[in-house]
Amino acid sequence: MRDVVIRVRGLRMAYGSVQVLDGVDLDLHRGEVFTLLGPNGAGKTTLVEILEGFRTGWTGEVEVLGENPARAGDAWRARLGVVMQTWRDHPRWRVRDLVAHVAAHYDDPRDVDDLLAELGLAESAGVRAGVLSGGRRRRLDVALGIVGRPEVLFLDEPTTGFDPEARREFHLLIERLAAEEGLTVLLTTHDLAEAERLSGRIAVLVAGRVLTCGSPAELAEAVRAPSLVRWDGGELETGDPSAVAWELHQRYSGPVPGLEIRRPTLEESYLDLIEKARTR
Amino acid sequence: MILGLRRGWTEQLNQWSDRKELINALAGSALTYGLLTLWIGDTPVEGTTVTVGAFMTPGFIAFAIFSTGLMALPMLIAADRDEGTLLRARALPRGVRVYLVGRATMMLLTLLANIALVLLIAFPLAGAPAPATPGRWFTLAWVVVLGTLAVVPVGAVIGSLLPGPKAAAMLALPAMLLMITSGVMLPLEMLPGLVRHIAEVFPLYWQALGLRAALLPDSVLAAEVGHTWRLGQAAVVLGLWAVGGIVLAPWLLRRIRGK
Repeated sequence: MRDVVIRVRGLRMAYGSVQVLDGVDLDLHRGEVFTLLGPNGAGKTTLVEILEGFRTGWTGEVEVLGENPARAGDAWRARLGVVMQTWRDHPRWRVRDLVAHVAAHYDDPRDVDDLLAELGLAESAGVRAGVLSGGRRRRLDVALGIVGRPEVLFLDEPTTGFDPEARREFHLLIERLAAEEGLTVLLTTHDLAEAERLSGRIAVLVAGRVLTCGSPAELAEAVRAPSLVRWDGGELETGDPSAVAWELHQRYSGPVPGLEIRRPTLEESYLDLIEKARTR
Repeated sequence: MILGLRRGWTEQLNQWSDRKELINALAGSALTYGLLTLWIGDTPVEGTTVTVGAFMTPGFIAFAIFSTGLMALPMLIAADRDEGTLLRARALPRGVRVYLVGRATMMLLTLLANIALVLLIAFPLAGAPAPATPGRWFTLAWVVVLGTLAVVPVGAVIGSLLPGPKAAAMLALPAMLLMITSGVMLPLEMLPGLVRHIAEVFPLYWQALGLRAALLPDSVLAAEVGHTWRLGQAAVVLGLWAVGGIVLAPWLLRRIRGK
Protein backbone atom coordinates (compact mmCIF):
# COMPACT_ATOMS: atom_id res chain seq x y z
CA MET A 1 0.00 0.00 0.00
CA ARG A 2 1.43 3.37 -1.03
CA ASP A 3 1.25 6.25 1.45
CA VAL A 4 -1.96 8.15 1.64
CA VAL A 5 -1.21 11.81 1.00
CA ILE A 6 -4.75 13.15 1.18
CA ARG A 7 -7.39 11.49 3.31
CA VAL A 8 -10.97 12.76 3.54
CA ARG A 9 -13.78 11.17 5.55
CA GLY A 10 -17.36 12.38 5.91
CA LEU A 11 -16.55 15.92 4.80
CA ARG A 12 -19.52 18.24 4.95
CA MET A 13 -19.79 21.93 4.32
CA ALA A 14 -22.80 24.22 4.04
CA TYR A 15 -23.14 27.83 2.93
CA GLY A 16 -26.21 28.92 4.87
CA SER A 17 -28.90 26.36 4.09
CA VAL A 18 -27.16 25.03 0.96
CA GLN A 19 -25.27 21.79 1.56
CA VAL A 20 -22.27 22.15 -0.77
CA LEU A 21 -20.39 19.04 0.35
CA ASP A 22 -22.52 16.23 1.68
CA GLY A 23 -20.26 13.52 3.09
CA VAL A 24 -17.21 13.25 0.83
CA ASP A 25 -14.69 10.38 1.25
CA LEU A 26 -11.42 10.37 -0.73
CA ASP A 27 -7.93 8.84 -0.56
CA LEU A 28 -5.06 10.08 -2.70
CA HIS A 29 -1.78 8.16 -2.84
CA ARG A 30 1.71 9.51 -3.34
CA GLY A 31 2.65 9.98 -6.99
CA GLU A 32 -0.90 9.67 -8.19
CA VAL A 33 -2.64 12.01 -10.61
CA PHE A 34 -6.23 12.15 -9.47
CA THR A 35 -9.01 13.94 -11.30
CA LEU A 36 -12.11 15.45 -9.81
CA LEU A 37 -14.89 15.70 -12.38
CA GLY A 38 -18.29 17.21 -11.93
CA PRO A 39 -20.71 19.74 -13.32
CA ASN A 40 -20.44 23.39 -12.29
CA GLY A 41 -21.73 23.90 -8.77
CA ALA A 42 -21.00 20.32 -7.71
CA GLY A 43 -18.64 21.53 -4.97
CA LYS A 44 -15.29 20.81 -6.68
CA THR A 45 -13.75 24.19 -5.99
CA THR A 46 -15.02 24.24 -2.40
CA LEU A 47 -13.52 20.79 -1.81
CA VAL A 48 -10.17 21.82 -3.28
CA GLU A 49 -10.11 25.06 -1.29
CA ILE A 50 -10.75 23.13 1.94
CA LEU A 51 -7.81 20.84 1.13
CA GLU A 52 -5.66 23.91 0.38
CA GLY A 53 -6.50 25.33 3.81
CA PHE A 54 -8.36 28.36 2.47
CA ARG A 55 -11.76 27.49 3.93
CA THR A 56 -12.95 26.83 7.44
CA GLY A 57 -16.37 25.96 8.77
CA TRP A 58 -16.47 22.37 7.49
CA THR A 59 -17.02 19.21 9.50
CA GLY A 60 -15.54 15.76 9.07
CA GLU A 61 -11.98 14.44 8.89
CA VAL A 62 -9.47 15.95 6.49
CA GLU A 63 -5.74 15.22 6.41
CA VAL A 64 -3.38 16.60 3.80
CA LEU A 65 0.21 15.41 4.26
CA GLY A 66 -0.83 14.27 7.72
CA GLU A 67 -2.15 17.62 8.90
CA ASN A 68 -5.48 19.36 9.22
CA PRO A 69 -5.40 22.08 6.52
CA ALA A 70 -7.40 24.52 8.65
CA ARG A 71 -4.69 24.54 11.32
CA ALA A 72 -1.45 23.67 9.49
CA GLY A 73 1.42 26.16 9.38
CA ASP A 74 4.14 27.40 7.04
CA ALA A 75 6.16 24.16 6.96
CA TRP A 76 3.06 22.36 5.68
CA ARG A 77 2.24 25.10 3.19
CA ALA A 78 5.74 24.88 1.74
CA ARG A 79 4.93 21.32 0.61
CA LEU A 80 1.86 22.37 -1.41
CA GLY A 81 1.53 23.93 -4.83
CA VAL A 82 -1.65 25.73 -5.76
CA VAL A 83 -2.91 26.67 -9.20
CA MET A 84 -6.32 28.25 -8.88
CA GLN A 85 -8.98 28.64 -11.48
CA THR A 86 -8.66 32.30 -12.35
CA TRP A 87 -5.64 34.23 -11.31
CA ARG A 88 -4.67 37.71 -12.45
CA ASP A 89 -2.55 38.73 -9.47
CA HIS A 90 0.64 40.79 -9.58
CA PRO A 91 -0.22 42.40 -12.95
CA ARG A 92 2.66 44.89 -12.72
CA TRP A 93 5.34 42.31 -12.01
CA ARG A 94 7.56 41.02 -14.75
CA VAL A 95 7.30 37.26 -15.29
CA ARG A 96 10.82 36.38 -14.22
CA ASP A 97 10.76 38.74 -11.20
CA LEU A 98 7.53 37.18 -9.99
CA VAL A 99 8.66 33.57 -10.39
CA ALA A 100 11.96 34.38 -8.66
CA HIS A 101 10.13 36.16 -5.84
CA VAL A 102 7.77 33.23 -5.27
CA ALA A 103 10.72 30.82 -5.49
CA ALA A 104 12.44 32.72 -2.67
CA HIS A 105 9.69 31.62 -0.27
CA TYR A 106 10.97 28.02 -0.44
CA ASP A 107 14.08 26.29 0.86
CA ASP A 108 14.88 24.30 -2.27
CA PRO A 109 13.13 25.88 -5.26
CA ARG A 110 13.51 24.89 -8.90
CA ASP A 111 15.85 26.88 -11.09
CA VAL A 112 13.79 29.82 -12.32
CA ASP A 113 15.22 30.02 -15.84
CA ASP A 114 14.99 26.25 -16.39
CA LEU A 115 11.38 26.34 -15.28
CA LEU A 116 10.51 29.26 -17.58
CA ALA A 117 12.16 27.47 -20.49
CA GLU A 118 10.31 24.25 -19.68
CA LEU A 119 6.96 26.03 -19.70
CA GLY A 120 7.74 28.00 -22.84
CA LEU A 121 7.89 31.28 -20.97
CA ALA A 122 11.55 32.12 -21.58
CA GLU A 123 10.79 34.80 -24.15
CA SER A 124 8.15 36.33 -21.85
CA ALA A 125 10.56 36.67 -18.91
CA GLY A 126 10.63 40.47 -19.06
CA VAL A 127 6.95 40.96 -19.83
CA ARG A 128 4.53 42.25 -17.19
CA ALA A 129 2.15 39.54 -15.98
CA GLY A 130 -0.87 41.78 -16.60
CA VAL A 131 -0.36 41.88 -20.38
CA LEU A 132 0.24 38.14 -20.98
CA SER A 133 -2.23 36.27 -23.18
CA GLY A 134 -4.62 33.88 -21.43
CA GLY A 135 -2.60 30.77 -22.17
CA ARG A 136 0.71 32.33 -21.16
CA ARG A 137 -0.77 33.71 -17.97
CA ARG A 138 -2.00 30.19 -17.18
CA ARG A 139 1.49 28.77 -17.76
CA LEU A 140 2.85 31.43 -15.41
CA ASP A 141 0.33 30.23 -12.78
CA VAL A 142 1.56 26.67 -13.27
CA ALA A 143 5.19 27.85 -12.95
CA LEU A 144 4.31 29.60 -9.67
CA GLY A 145 2.56 26.44 -8.48
CA ILE A 146 5.51 24.11 -8.99
CA VAL A 147 8.53 26.39 -8.47
CA GLY A 148 8.74 25.35 -4.79
CA ARG A 149 8.98 21.59 -5.58
CA PRO A 150 5.67 20.76 -3.90
CA GLU A 151 4.72 17.23 -2.83
CA VAL A 152 1.07 17.88 -3.55
CA LEU A 153 -0.12 20.02 -6.43
CA PHE A 154 -3.67 21.32 -6.76
CA LEU A 155 -4.61 22.17 -10.33
CA ASP A 156 -7.99 23.81 -10.80
CA GLU A 157 -8.76 23.71 -14.54
CA PRO A 158 -5.13 24.29 -15.43
CA THR A 159 -5.21 24.09 -19.23
CA THR A 160 -8.04 26.50 -19.93
CA GLY A 161 -6.82 28.70 -22.78
CA PHE A 162 -3.89 26.46 -23.77
CA ASP A 163 -3.36 25.70 -27.43
CA PRO A 164 -3.06 21.96 -28.26
CA GLU A 165 0.73 22.05 -28.29
CA ALA A 166 0.98 23.84 -24.93
CA ARG A 167 -1.57 21.43 -23.52
CA ARG A 168 0.47 18.44 -24.65
CA GLU A 169 3.67 19.91 -23.21
CA PHE A 170 1.86 20.54 -19.97
CA HIS A 171 0.56 16.97 -19.80
CA LEU A 172 4.06 15.62 -20.39
CA LEU A 173 5.42 17.86 -17.64
CA ILE A 174 2.81 16.72 -15.12
CA GLU A 175 3.34 13.06 -16.01
CA ARG A 176 7.08 13.48 -15.60
CA LEU A 177 6.75 15.24 -12.23
CA ALA A 178 4.41 12.55 -10.96
CA ALA A 179 6.66 9.73 -12.17
CA GLU A 180 10.07 11.16 -11.28
CA GLU A 181 9.44 13.24 -8.19
CA GLY A 182 6.47 11.40 -6.72
CA LEU A 183 4.36 14.52 -7.06
CA THR A 184 0.74 13.91 -6.12
CA VAL A 185 -1.68 15.89 -8.26
CA LEU A 186 -5.32 16.70 -7.62
CA LEU A 187 -6.75 17.99 -10.86
CA THR A 188 -10.16 19.43 -11.53
CA THR A 189 -11.12 19.78 -15.16
CA HIS A 190 -13.99 19.83 -17.59
CA ASP A 191 -11.76 18.35 -20.26
CA LEU A 192 -12.56 14.64 -20.21
CA ALA A 193 -9.77 13.79 -22.64
CA GLU A 194 -7.34 15.45 -20.25
CA ALA A 195 -8.73 13.47 -17.32
CA GLU A 196 -8.45 10.21 -19.27
CA ARG A 197 -4.95 11.04 -20.47
CA LEU A 198 -3.49 12.13 -17.16
CA SER A 199 -5.14 10.38 -14.31
CA GLY A 200 -5.00 6.97 -12.83
CA ARG A 201 -8.23 7.55 -11.01
CA ILE A 202 -11.20 9.80 -11.47
CA ALA A 203 -13.84 10.77 -8.94
CA VAL A 204 -17.14 12.20 -10.08
CA LEU A 205 -18.60 14.75 -7.71
CA VAL A 206 -22.26 15.59 -8.12
CA ALA A 207 -24.29 17.68 -5.66
CA GLY A 208 -21.64 17.42 -2.97
CA ARG A 209 -21.19 13.63 -3.10
CA VAL A 210 -18.64 11.37 -4.76
CA LEU A 211 -20.78 9.26 -7.07
CA THR A 212 -18.00 7.00 -8.22
CA CYS A 213 -14.26 6.76 -8.00
CA GLY A 214 -11.88 4.65 -10.05
CA SER A 215 -10.00 4.29 -13.34
CA PRO A 216 -11.74 5.47 -16.53
CA ALA A 217 -12.57 1.80 -17.32
CA GLU A 218 -13.99 1.21 -13.86
CA LEU A 219 -15.97 4.38 -14.23
CA ALA A 220 -17.56 3.05 -17.42
CA GLU A 221 -18.31 -0.21 -15.67
CA ALA A 222 -19.84 1.50 -12.68
CA VAL A 223 -22.18 3.37 -14.94
CA ARG A 224 -22.86 0.25 -17.04
CA ALA A 225 -23.04 2.44 -20.09
CA PRO A 226 -23.65 -0.06 -22.89
CA SER A 227 -21.05 -0.89 -25.53
CA LEU A 228 -22.06 -0.98 -29.16
CA VAL A 229 -21.45 -4.19 -31.15
CA ARG A 230 -21.86 -3.80 -34.90
CA TRP A 231 -21.33 -6.29 -37.76
CA ASP A 232 -22.48 -6.76 -41.35
CA GLY A 233 -26.00 -7.87 -40.55
CA GLY A 234 -26.93 -5.95 -37.44
CA GLU A 235 -25.96 -3.99 -34.34
CA LEU A 236 -26.61 -4.44 -30.64
CA GLU A 237 -26.16 -2.37 -27.48
CA THR A 238 -24.93 -4.55 -24.66
CA GLY A 239 -23.33 -4.39 -21.25
CA ASP A 240 -21.21 -7.49 -22.09
CA PRO A 241 -19.76 -7.03 -25.59
CA SER A 242 -17.35 -9.94 -25.35
CA ALA A 243 -20.20 -12.45 -24.74
CA VAL A 244 -22.04 -11.08 -27.75
CA ALA A 245 -18.92 -11.35 -29.92
CA TRP A 246 -18.45 -14.98 -28.86
CA GLU A 247 -22.06 -15.78 -29.69
CA LEU A 248 -21.73 -14.15 -33.11
CA HIS A 249 -18.53 -16.04 -33.73
CA GLN A 250 -20.30 -19.30 -33.12
CA ARG A 251 -23.32 -18.27 -35.19
CA TYR A 252 -21.09 -17.52 -38.19
CA SER A 253 -18.87 -20.54 -37.36
CA GLY A 254 -15.85 -18.35 -38.02
CA PRO A 255 -14.85 -14.71 -38.35
CA VAL A 256 -17.72 -12.25 -38.02
CA PRO A 257 -17.86 -9.99 -41.10
CA GLY A 258 -17.24 -6.31 -40.32
CA LEU A 259 -17.18 -6.85 -36.55
CA GLU A 260 -16.73 -3.66 -34.60
CA ILE A 261 -17.01 -3.14 -30.85
CA ARG A 262 -17.22 0.38 -29.50
CA ARG A 263 -16.80 0.77 -25.77
CA PRO A 264 -18.36 3.87 -24.20
CA THR A 265 -15.99 6.84 -24.10
CA LEU A 266 -15.30 8.48 -20.79
CA GLU A 267 -17.51 11.31 -21.94
CA GLU A 268 -20.46 9.00 -22.50
CA SER A 269 -19.94 7.30 -19.15
CA TYR A 270 -19.65 10.65 -17.45
CA LEU A 271 -22.74 12.18 -19.05
CA ASP A 272 -24.68 9.00 -18.34
CA LEU A 273 -23.68 9.17 -14.71
CA ILE A 274 -24.67 12.82 -14.31
CA GLU A 275 -27.99 12.11 -16.03
CA LYS A 276 -28.73 9.18 -13.70
CA ALA A 277 -27.83 11.27 -10.64
CA ARG A 278 -30.18 14.00 -11.79
CA THR A 279 -33.18 11.78 -12.41
CA ARG A 280 -32.70 9.73 -9.27
CA MET B 1 11.78 39.87 6.52
CA ILE B 2 14.50 40.39 3.91
CA LEU B 3 12.24 38.81 1.33
CA GLY B 4 9.55 41.31 2.31
CA LEU B 5 11.99 44.20 1.89
CA ARG B 6 13.00 42.91 -1.53
CA ARG B 7 9.35 42.54 -2.44
CA GLY B 8 8.67 46.14 -1.43
CA TRP B 9 11.62 47.35 -3.48
CA THR B 10 10.43 45.50 -6.59
CA GLU B 11 6.89 46.82 -6.09
CA GLN B 12 8.29 50.32 -5.82
CA LEU B 13 10.38 49.96 -8.98
CA ASN B 14 7.35 48.54 -10.78
CA GLN B 15 5.37 51.60 -9.73
CA TRP B 16 8.06 54.16 -10.52
CA SER B 17 8.59 52.73 -13.96
CA ASP B 18 5.00 53.67 -14.77
CA ARG B 19 4.91 57.43 -15.42
CA LYS B 20 1.24 57.96 -14.62
CA GLU B 21 1.52 56.18 -11.29
CA LEU B 22 4.69 58.06 -10.46
CA ILE B 23 2.94 61.39 -10.93
CA ASN B 24 -0.06 60.18 -8.90
CA ALA B 25 2.19 59.14 -6.06
CA LEU B 26 3.92 62.49 -5.91
CA ALA B 27 1.05 64.85 -6.77
CA GLY B 28 -0.67 64.31 -3.42
CA SER B 29 1.78 66.18 -1.32
CA ALA B 30 5.01 67.26 -2.96
CA LEU B 31 3.48 68.93 -6.03
CA THR B 32 0.67 70.63 -4.09
CA TYR B 33 3.17 71.74 -1.52
CA GLY B 34 5.51 73.12 -4.16
CA LEU B 35 2.75 75.15 -5.80
CA LEU B 36 1.45 76.54 -2.49
CA THR B 37 4.97 77.45 -1.47
CA LEU B 38 5.64 79.34 -4.67
CA TRP B 39 2.37 81.17 -4.21
CA ILE B 40 2.34 82.23 -0.52
CA GLY B 41 5.37 80.47 0.92
CA ASP B 42 7.44 83.51 1.90
CA THR B 43 4.71 85.49 3.68
CA PRO B 44 5.51 85.66 7.41
CA VAL B 45 2.97 84.22 9.84
CA GLU B 46 1.55 87.04 11.93
CA GLY B 47 3.18 87.49 15.33
CA THR B 48 6.03 85.00 14.66
CA THR B 49 9.33 84.90 12.85
CA VAL B 50 8.41 81.93 10.64
CA THR B 51 6.99 82.04 7.13
CA VAL B 52 3.74 80.43 6.00
CA GLY B 53 5.83 77.97 3.97
CA ALA B 54 7.76 76.88 7.05
CA PHE B 55 4.56 76.59 9.06
CA MET B 56 2.91 74.41 6.40
CA THR B 57 5.82 72.03 6.11
CA PRO B 58 5.25 69.76 9.15
CA GLY B 59 1.52 69.64 8.47
CA PHE B 60 2.10 68.58 4.90
CA ILE B 61 4.53 65.86 5.84
CA ALA B 62 2.25 64.63 8.62
CA PHE B 63 -0.67 64.45 6.24
CA ALA B 64 1.44 62.72 3.62
CA ILE B 65 2.28 59.98 6.14
CA PHE B 66 -1.27 59.73 7.38
CA SER B 67 -2.91 59.64 3.95
CA THR B 68 -0.36 57.24 2.47
CA GLY B 69 -0.91 54.81 5.33
CA LEU B 70 -4.65 55.12 5.77
CA MET B 71 -5.88 56.01 2.27
CA ALA B 72 -3.41 55.01 -0.45
CA LEU B 73 -2.45 51.74 1.26
CA PRO B 74 -6.02 50.50 1.84
CA MET B 75 -6.76 51.27 -1.81
CA LEU B 76 -3.74 49.22 -2.93
CA ILE B 77 -4.65 46.33 -0.64
CA ALA B 78 -8.27 46.32 -1.76
CA ALA B 79 -6.98 46.16 -5.35
CA ASP B 80 -4.56 43.36 -4.38
CA ARG B 81 -7.41 41.39 -2.89
CA ASP B 82 -9.52 42.00 -5.97
CA GLU B 83 -6.76 40.73 -8.27
CA GLY B 84 -5.91 37.74 -6.08
CA THR B 85 -2.49 38.98 -4.98
CA LEU B 86 -3.53 38.48 -1.35
CA LEU B 87 -4.76 34.97 -2.07
CA ARG B 88 -1.41 34.20 -3.73
CA ALA B 89 0.29 35.43 -0.56
CA ARG B 90 -1.87 33.07 1.50
CA ALA B 91 -0.87 30.17 -0.75
CA LEU B 92 2.84 30.68 0.00
CA PRO B 93 4.73 29.80 3.17
CA ARG B 94 5.21 33.04 5.16
CA GLY B 95 3.39 34.70 2.28
CA VAL B 96 1.13 37.02 4.26
CA ARG B 97 4.00 38.34 6.36
CA VAL B 98 6.20 38.84 3.31
CA TYR B 99 3.34 40.64 1.62
CA LEU B 100 2.77 42.98 4.57
CA VAL B 101 6.44 43.78 5.01
CA GLY B 102 6.60 44.39 1.25
CA ARG B 103 3.68 46.79 1.29
CA ALA B 104 5.08 48.59 4.35
CA THR B 105 8.48 48.91 2.65
CA MET B 106 6.91 50.28 -0.48
CA MET B 107 4.88 52.79 1.53
CA LEU B 108 7.99 53.88 3.39
CA LEU B 109 9.90 54.36 0.13
CA THR B 110 7.01 56.37 -1.35
CA LEU B 111 6.91 58.50 1.79
CA LEU B 112 10.64 59.05 1.95
CA ALA B 113 10.61 60.22 -1.66
CA ASN B 114 7.72 62.54 -0.90
CA ILE B 115 9.25 63.92 2.28
CA ALA B 116 12.61 64.42 0.63
CA LEU B 117 10.94 66.38 -2.16
CA VAL B 118 8.95 68.52 0.31
CA LEU B 119 12.08 69.27 2.31
CA LEU B 120 14.10 70.00 -0.84
CA ILE B 121 11.47 72.59 -1.73
CA ALA B 122 11.05 73.81 1.85
CA PHE B 123 14.63 74.66 2.75
CA PRO B 124 15.53 76.93 -0.18
CA LEU B 125 12.12 78.24 -1.23
CA ALA B 126 9.83 78.46 1.78
CA GLY B 127 12.28 80.09 4.13
CA ALA B 128 11.93 77.06 6.36
CA PRO B 129 14.98 76.53 8.53
CA ALA B 130 16.54 73.07 8.33
CA PRO B 131 16.49 71.29 11.71
CA ALA B 132 19.03 73.21 13.72
CA THR B 133 20.55 70.42 15.82
CA PRO B 134 21.28 66.70 15.38
CA GLY B 135 18.63 66.17 18.05
CA ARG B 136 16.00 67.69 15.77
CA TRP B 137 17.11 65.59 12.81
CA PHE B 138 16.75 62.59 15.09
CA THR B 139 13.24 63.71 16.07
CA LEU B 140 12.37 64.07 12.38
CA ALA B 141 13.65 60.55 11.68
CA TRP B 142 11.87 58.73 14.49
CA VAL B 143 8.60 60.58 14.03
CA VAL B 144 8.57 59.65 10.34
CA VAL B 145 9.43 55.99 11.01
CA LEU B 146 7.19 55.47 14.04
CA GLY B 147 4.44 57.56 12.45
CA THR B 148 4.58 55.29 9.39
CA LEU B 149 4.54 52.11 11.47
CA ALA B 150 1.53 53.48 13.34
CA VAL B 151 -0.62 53.77 10.22
CA VAL B 152 0.61 51.08 7.80
CA PRO B 153 -0.68 47.96 9.66
CA VAL B 154 -3.97 49.70 10.46
CA GLY B 155 -4.24 50.73 6.82
CA ALA B 156 -3.66 47.12 5.83
CA VAL B 157 -6.57 45.99 7.99
CA ILE B 158 -8.84 48.73 6.62
CA GLY B 159 -7.84 47.72 3.10
CA SER B 160 -8.71 44.10 3.73
CA LEU B 161 -12.12 45.03 5.10
CA LEU B 162 -13.09 47.36 2.25
CA PRO B 163 -15.59 45.82 -0.15
CA GLY B 164 -13.57 46.95 -3.18
CA PRO B 165 -10.92 49.37 -4.43
CA LYS B 166 -13.50 52.04 -5.21
CA ALA B 167 -14.87 52.05 -1.67
CA ALA B 168 -11.61 53.62 -0.53
CA ALA B 169 -13.16 56.97 -1.46
CA MET B 170 -15.24 56.57 1.72
CA LEU B 171 -12.07 57.12 3.69
CA ALA B 172 -11.70 60.71 2.48
CA LEU B 173 -14.34 62.20 4.81
CA PRO B 174 -13.01 60.87 8.14
CA ALA B 175 -9.50 61.73 6.99
CA MET B 176 -10.60 65.30 6.27
CA LEU B 177 -12.22 65.60 9.71
CA LEU B 178 -9.09 64.36 11.41
CA MET B 179 -6.95 66.69 9.35
CA ILE B 180 -9.00 69.67 10.58
CA THR B 181 -9.14 68.55 14.22
CA SER B 182 -5.53 67.42 14.56
CA GLY B 183 -3.90 70.79 14.17
CA VAL B 184 -2.47 70.01 10.76
CA MET B 185 -4.06 72.99 9.06
CA LEU B 186 -5.32 75.15 11.93
CA PRO B 187 -3.41 76.15 15.04
CA LEU B 188 -4.52 73.95 17.93
CA GLU B 189 -5.58 76.82 20.16
CA MET B 190 -8.52 77.48 17.84
CA LEU B 191 -10.05 74.08 18.65
CA PRO B 192 -12.37 73.30 21.59
CA GLY B 193 -10.80 71.02 24.20
CA LEU B 194 -13.17 68.09 23.62
CA VAL B 195 -12.45 67.98 19.89
CA ARG B 196 -8.74 68.09 20.62
CA HIS B 197 -8.99 65.21 23.07
CA ILE B 198 -10.77 63.07 20.49
CA ALA B 199 -8.12 63.93 17.91
CA GLU B 200 -5.41 63.00 20.42
CA VAL B 201 -6.52 59.36 20.19
CA PHE B 202 -5.49 59.21 16.53
CA PRO B 203 -1.95 59.10 15.16
CA LEU B 204 -2.25 62.13 12.86
CA TYR B 205 -2.26 64.55 15.82
CA TRP B 206 1.02 63.17 17.13
CA GLN B 207 2.64 62.86 13.73
CA ALA B 208 1.96 66.57 13.19
CA LEU B 209 3.14 67.48 16.67
CA GLY B 210 6.37 65.53 16.33
CA LEU B 211 7.12 67.09 12.97
CA ARG B 212 6.48 70.59 14.29
CA ALA B 213 8.91 69.85 17.09
CA ALA B 214 11.52 68.83 14.52
CA LEU B 215 10.99 71.53 11.92
CA LEU B 216 9.76 74.69 13.70
CA PRO B 217 11.73 76.93 16.05
CA ASP B 218 10.76 77.03 19.73
CA SER B 219 9.39 80.53 19.16
CA VAL B 220 6.12 78.95 17.97
CA LEU B 221 5.69 76.98 21.23
CA ALA B 222 3.22 79.63 22.37
CA ALA B 223 0.66 77.93 20.13
CA GLU B 224 1.28 74.45 21.58
CA VAL B 225 -0.66 72.82 24.40
CA GLY B 226 1.21 73.46 27.65
CA HIS B 227 3.74 75.51 25.67
CA THR B 228 6.00 72.50 25.32
CA TRP B 229 6.66 69.74 22.72
CA ARG B 230 4.97 66.66 24.19
CA LEU B 231 7.31 64.21 22.43
CA GLY B 232 7.13 61.51 25.11
CA GLN B 233 3.39 61.31 24.76
CA ALA B 234 3.72 61.31 20.97
CA ALA B 235 6.08 58.33 21.14
CA VAL B 236 3.69 56.41 23.43
CA VAL B 237 0.58 56.97 21.30
CA LEU B 238 2.31 56.26 17.98
CA GLY B 239 4.02 53.25 19.55
CA LEU B 240 0.70 51.82 20.75
CA TRP B 241 -0.82 52.19 17.29
CA ALA B 242 2.23 50.57 15.72
CA VAL B 243 2.39 47.58 18.11
CA GLY B 244 -1.37 47.06 18.07
CA GLY B 245 -1.40 47.12 14.29
CA ILE B 246 1.61 44.86 13.83
CA VAL B 247 0.10 42.25 16.16
CA LEU B 248 -3.43 42.39 14.78
CA ALA B 249 -2.92 42.91 11.04
CA PRO B 250 -1.45 39.49 10.04
CA TRP B 251 -4.02 37.71 12.21
CA LEU B 252 -6.92 39.59 10.61
CA LEU B 253 -5.56 39.29 7.07
CA ARG B 254 -5.27 35.52 7.37
CA ARG B 255 -8.94 35.35 8.19
CA ILE B 256 -10.12 37.30 5.24
CA ARG B 257 -11.40 35.28 2.35
CA GLY B 258 -9.32 36.10 -0.65
CA LYS B 259 -11.88 35.91 -3.40
